[in-house]
Amino acid sequence: MLALAIDFARRFARNRAALIGFVLLVAVIGVALAAPWMFPRNPLRIVGRPEIWPFASSRYPLGTDSLGRDIAAMIAYGARTTLLIGLCASLTATLIGISVGALAAYFGGWVDELLMRMTELFQTIPNLIFVLTIVSILGQKIEYVTIAVGIVTWTPIARLTRAEFMSLRDREFVQACRSMGMGNLRIMFGEILPNALPPVIVLSSLVIAGAVLFESAVSFLGLGDPNVSSWGRLIGDGRTLIRSSWYICAVPGAAIMLTVLALNLVGDGLNDALNPKLRDR
Amino acid sequence: MAADPVPERTPILAIDNLQVSLFTRRGVLPAVDGLSLSVAPGETVAIVGESGCGKSLAALAVMRLLPEPPARIVGGAVRFMGRDLAALSEREMQRVRGKDISMIFQDPMTSLDPVLTVGDQLIEAIRQHTEASWREAANRAVELLRQVRIPDAERRLDDYPHQMSGGMSQRVMIAMAIACGPQLLIADEPTTALDVTVQAQILELLKELQTRSGMGLIIITHDLGVVAETADRVVVMYAGRKVEEARVGALFDRPLHPYTRGLLGATPSAIRRRGGRLAEIAGSVPALSDLPAGCAFQNRCPDVFDRCRAERPALATLLPQQSAACFAAEKELSRNVAAIGT
Repeated sequence: MLALAIDFARRFARNRAALIGFVLLVAVIGVALAAPWMFPRNPLRIVGRPEIWPFASSRYPLGTDSLGRDIAAMIAYGARTTLLIGLCASLTATLIGISVGALAAYFGGWVDELLMRMTELFQTIPNLIFVLTIVSILGQKIEYVTIAVGIVTWTPIARLTRAEFMSLRDREFVQACRSMGMGNLRIMFGEILPNALPPVIVLSSLVIAGAVLFESAVSFLGLGDPNVSSWGRLIGDGRTLIRSSWYICAVPGAAIMLTVLALNLVGDGLNDALNPKLRDR
Repeated sequence: MAADPVPERTPILAIDNLQVSLFTRRGVLPAVDGLSLSVAPGETVAIVGESGCGKSLAALAVMRLLPEPPARIVGGAVRFMGRDLAALSEREMQRVRGKDISMIFQDPMTSLDPVLTVGDQLIEAIRQHTEASWREAANRAVELLRQVRIPDAERRLDDYPHQMSGGMSQRVMIAMAIACGPQLLIADEPTTALDVTVQAQILELLKELQTRSGMGLIIITHDLGVVAETADRVVVMYAGRKVEEARVGALFDRPLHPYTRGLLGATPSAIRRRGGRLAEIAGSVPALSDLPAGCAFQNRCPDVFDRCRAERPALATLLPQQSAACFAAEKELSRNVAAIGT
C-alpha cells in the first residue's frame, strides 16, 4: 500500500504544472486553516478608514474596503468559505452522481432509461439560474448554497460513472462475484466501484473548481450567506467603486483565479497519475 | 444393472428437460433444448461440444445467472439435493451460490477483481457465507491457498491479481470456489486459457480436491483430452441438444453418434500414427435461427439418410449406460443384434 502511494506521488510530481497547482492549493488551505490565528476577530468588523490601498498601511497589507473592513482578513476567512463550499458541494455532487450512474448502468433497462432522462432534464436547466432559484427558495445560508451547487453539478459525474460501470458490468469478475452469491449492492459498491473510481475522482476534483466559481457568482449577486465572508461577496461589494478603488475587486478576483487554476492543475495531475493509459508517456 | 445411464447413487444435481431460449430480434432461438443430466456425489460429468452448442448457457441456467435478457429458462427443472432451484427467490438463490454450488470460469486473469488483493477477495468469499471474523477468514484463506498448492501462501494474500500467472490465478479462483465447501463445482472451460503443462496441474488439483471432499464436478469443455483425463461420464451436446451420453471409456471405445466420432477423429493423439492429417467434420454448425427440420447434424453427417431429414431423432438408450440421438446408430445396432440373433 505504501509502495503504491509512493509510486503515485512520484507520477504526480513528474507533472510540473500539477506540482505548482498543488503548492498553490496547499498555500490556500494553509491560509484558510490559519485564519483564526492570523485574524482573531470577526473579519466583517470595521477596523479603520475606508479605501486604504494595498501596501499603503502596514496594519492592513491588502488595504480596506469601502466600509473600512480589513481585506486581508476577509480574504483569509473567505478562503475557508470557498474551500468548504467547494469541497462539500463536490462531495454532494459525487455522491449523487455515483449513485445515479451506478444504479442506471448496473440495472439497465427501465431504471437506466428513467435515471438518464432525469439526468438530461437536470442538464437542460441553466446552472446558475437553477442555483439562484434553489438558494432563494431555501434561504441564504451556506449549507443551502452548498446543496444547490451540488445539485446542479452532479450530472457529468453520473454520466461518467455510468459509462465506467457499463464497461465493467459485463466483465468476468463480476460474473464470478455473482457465482459466489454476492448481492447486487455488494458487487456494485464493493467490487465495481473501486475499479471505476480513478476517473470519477479526477472529475470530482474539477467539480470543486466549478463549485468555487458558482459560490462566487452567487455571493457576487448578493444571494450568499450575509454572515459569512466570501470572495464573491467582496467583489460584489466592491463593484460600485471599480473606477476608483479597483483593488477591492481585483484582490479577491486574483484569489479566485489562483484557487481555481490550482484546482484545475491538480485535477489534470490526478488524471495523468491515475490514468494507466497515460502512465508511461 | 439397468440399461439406464442414470447412476445408482442419489444425484446431487438433476437437470430435467431443461430448455433455455434466447429472445432476440430474429425470433426465439432454442439455445438449450431439452437437456437432462444428473451428477452423483464424487462423480465428474463432462459436457462436451463446440462453441455455441449451449453448454455454458446450461451451466449458467443451473446457477440462475443467465444473461436476462436475452436468455431465459422456458422449461424443465433443475433440482439440487431434491430442491427445485427455479422455485427459490433471488435471495435464497444467493445463499446457494458459492456455498452449495460454485463455479469457476474460463479466463482466470479476468475473473479476479483487478483492484483488490487476492487475500481480500478470498476473505470476502469466505465471509459471504460464514460468520467468520476477519481474522478467522484470513487464516482460512491461507489454508485454502495451501490446499490449492500456492507456495508462500501468507505473502501471496497481499498480491494483486496482475502479479500472478494464469495458473496461479486459476488456483486462487478454485480456492475461492471451494472456500465454503460446495457439494457441486461447475468448471466452465477451466483450462482453456492456460498452457498445456499448467492445464494438467489444474485438472489434477481439481480431481484431488474432489476425492478429498466428495463433491460433484461438472466440467464444461471442448477438449476431449480434458474429458479423458477427468470425467466419469460424458454428455455430448450439439446445437443445444444432448446427442450422446456415455461412460467415458465407452465413449472413447465406441462412440455411437457420428458427431462424437467426428470429434474423436479431430482430436490429436499421441497413440495415433504420426504424419496423418486430422480428420475434420465437414461444414459448420447450423445457426440456431435456421435449424433444419429433422436432425441438426444432417448437413455434416456422413451416415445421413432420408429419415434424418424428415424426423428429429430422440435420445434413446442404445447400449447399456450409453444413449444417443441418431437414427443411423439405431439402425446399425439393430442390424448387429439381428446378425447375432440368426
